[in-house]
Amino acid sequence: MKRILALLSSDIGRKALMGLTGLLMIGFLIMHMAANLLVPFSKEAYNAYSHTLTSSPQIYLITLVELALLALFAGHFVTGIVVTLKNWGARPVAYQRKDPAGGPSRKSLASSTMIYTGLVMLAFVPLHLATFKYGTVYEVATPTGEVRDLYRLAIEVFRNPLQSAWYLIALALLGAHAWHGFGSGFESLGVAHKVGLRRFGQALAVILMLGFMVVPVYVLLGGGAS
Amino acid sequence: MSTMTVKVRVWRQPSPDQEGRLVDYAVDNVVADMSFVEMIDVLNEQLVAKGEDTVAFDSDCREGICGSCGCVVNGVPHGPGTGKTACQLFMRAFTDGDTLVVEPFRAKAFPVLKDLCVDRGAFDRIIAAGGYISANTGAAQDGNQMLIGKDIAEKAFDAAACIGCGACVAACKNASAVLFVSAKVAHLSYLPQGQPERTRRVVRMVEQMEKEGFGACSNEGECEAVCPKEISTLHIQILQRDYLRAVLRGA
Repeated sequence: MKRILALLSSDIGRKALMGLTGLLMIGFLIMHMAANLLVPFSKEAYNAYSHTLTSSPQIYLITLVELALLALFAGHFVTGIVVTLKNWGARPVAYQRKDPAGGPSRKSLASSTMIYTGLVMLAFVPLHLATFKYGTVYEVATPTGEVRDLYRLAIEVFRNPLQSAWYLIALALLGAHAWHGFGSGFESLGVAHKVGLRRFGQALAVILMLGFMVVPVYVLLGGGAS
Repeated sequence: MSTMTVKVRVWRQPSPDQEGRLVDYAVDNVVADMSFVEMIDVLNEQLVAKGEDTVAFDSDCREGICGSCGCVVNGVPHGPGTGKTACQLFMRAFTDGDTLVVEPFRAKAFPVLKDLCVDRGAFDRIIAAGGYISANTGAAQDGNQMLIGKDIAEKAFDAAACIGCGACVAACKNASAVLFVSAKVAHLSYLPQGQPERTRRVVRMVEQMEKEGFGACSNEGECEAVCPKEISTLHIQILQRDYLRAVLRGA
């Protein structure tokens, strides 16, 4: 505990924690996105997947995972906000003119807006949980008994163009956040900056963003109509 | 020799406690082969002739190796171009009639003393906190007794090339000193003479960096882009690894 506190006393430690929590959350997002891709293919498979996760005894494991994810999320945004506020205070008088340095710099629109895209995620995640995890519970009969019809809820939600638009915007911002976050997270953990690793992260960010966009776009295009 | 006239919008701040502002001057008789710093000399000669207060700025060697000079020219520390200090920025980089916006390196940890002069004592205090070795390195002959691989020597030299000018801090959106501290930590961490104090050094230097009020590293690499010695951000991994290892082991 003393060592963790010592770690949190410096920006290097705080950023390492931010990087680690961010990367672990990207790991979760890959699984989440892969499961979402069931939606356009099979209503039954999607509901069965959701049912499997929430049935006993897996639910105990899943609850632990959820608590861990909550800790990652909280750790990530608390360190993010603390570090950002300190960063803003590190230059009290702003430049009258400040240009990008060019050359080996990796500064991008994504890297310059991490706190803002992050704050949108901070708002998005609770709303997303309220909409789905804690949203309307429909039941559907299957050969093995009644299961929650999460598929129906997803179709209903994304049929609302405002909801779909909000999700598409939030997902684009998530992609931007991961675009810089993946490579930067590794760098904060002391892994050398390598172009290949950064490019891999950027590709992963785009894949995540497009993968998550599949469900709202599928529904907007008329998918899931019964 | 043809001369040109440039417009200079330079930050004037009489003292640390007073507000500063950009003031416009036209500088005549500027020759393309003058350095930026020499152009400021010409401006100051004009100001002296008019009986006005000269623009205060730091400079010493004027050959790009001491790290004294430095200001932000047109939004980039040490001005346009790569691998040079402000004294190695030549007026041929500009054309007749150009406007140059000239500001001091800005950071909470680098308070403005006057005009373009900032107090970079924070860097000295970080070095004093641990940027040294206690091993007696002996004479040249003793140095040659210790076998060090060429690749390691090159890495150490690359980090040791840091002249402590502060451009990395000035370029960083967070005014972070991580590239400077990493260079000062890494050049000793690579070499055998740096090992005895390796753990203590990194912890103390990072603690001092925190106290001085620099920001955190966002891994953007603006620092490397403006560094007159083109010091690579790769050294930052040594700082992070040494520090994280030291803290997690309870140093």
